[in-house]
Amino acid sequence: MEETKERKIVVAVDESEESMEALSWSLDNLFPYGSNNTLILLYVKPPLPVYSSIDAAGFIVTGDPVAALNKYEHELVESVMARSQTVYQDFESDINIERRVGRGDAKEVICNAVQKLRADMLVIGTHDYGFFKRALLGSVSEYCAKRVKCPVIIVKKKAQNN
Amino acid sequence: MAEDQATAAMETTTVEKQPEMTETPSVTTTKRIMVAIDESDSSFYVLQWVIDHFSSLLATTLAEGGLLTVIHVQSPFQHFTAFPAGPGSATVYASSSMIEAVKKSQQKASAALLSRALQMCRAKQIRTETLVLEGDAKDMICQAVEQMHVDLLAVGSRGLGKIKRAFLGSVSDYCAHHAKCPILIVKPPKETH
Repeated sequence: MEETKERKIVVAVDESEESMEALSWSLDNLFPYGSNNTLILLYVKPPLPVYSSIDAAGFIVTGDPVAALNKYEHELVESVMARSQTVYQDFESDINIERRVGRGDAKEVICNAVQKLRADMLVIGTHDYGFFKRALLGSVSEYCAKRVKCPVIIVKKKAQNN
Repeated sequence: MAEDQATAAMETTTVEKQPEMTETPSVTTTKRIMVAIDESDSSFYVLQWVIDHFSSLLATTLAEGGLLTVIHVQSPFQHFTAFPAGPGSATVYASSSMIEAVKKSQQKASAALLSRALQMCRAKQIRTETLVLEGDAKDMICQAVEQMHVDLLAVGSRGLGKIKRAFLGSVSDYCAHHAKCPILIVKPPKETH
């Protein structure tokens, strides 16, 4: 007797390879056949630097740099989403996927989103910032693991399989 | 007809539905999930959570299902203690009978823990194995993860050190940093909310 309880699973993605691995891991393991889970892809854009209309040198910043920055950001979002799509498109079974984009400090936005969406689980990759051979947790994943109330899965880069 | 329903379901937040495939995905490799147990209630909460969420993957009914490993690490018994007993503090060596007695009680305690864990697993028909190691909890758990090629390690957040702040206990924190596999951190539910 299977209980198909609907669960909301948030996967935080960014431009890194590790988060794509986190996404494919969660697809492999958290979405067994027949489950009713919803996958929420969350991408956080870095905060826009604030442009005043007159900068320090006294020049008036026209609309063009701002427009260019917006366009770059938009392209970044699209590329991350496209990469995620190639990951989940190969996946066989039937799952609901939602895409959400936030802006600001990644760790804060992720924690707030998890709380607001009342997610049942958060999956997050980790950047391998460590100087040592052992993988260290990136600051965002560590912060989120400590802050959020729901269970967290931290997916690290796979060590070389032998 | 399925596609019409899918496009009708698409709303503002771009909900997508993948086309349904006929066969169940085959489990290619045995997934191994390890749960670390100690005397605290939160570790049993973790075990129950893993059982609930991964029951479909770990059921004994599957031919090649996953395997749940319950691991308990006993803290090593110091064979001697130093008592600050007056002017000349002497190191007292425990006699061998005392060592035997303590070892027995430790074994009894861990056997009780593991049987409780096994009971929880058997109730949901989970394929389980247990493991008892001796030594420093964080090192032994990380070593076991590496040697047994565990796919997911589940730990609680606070365990034995019950400090009422939202941060990770020392063993969980160490394992989160050093274990080579993905790690699942389950927080106990707050009683007073």
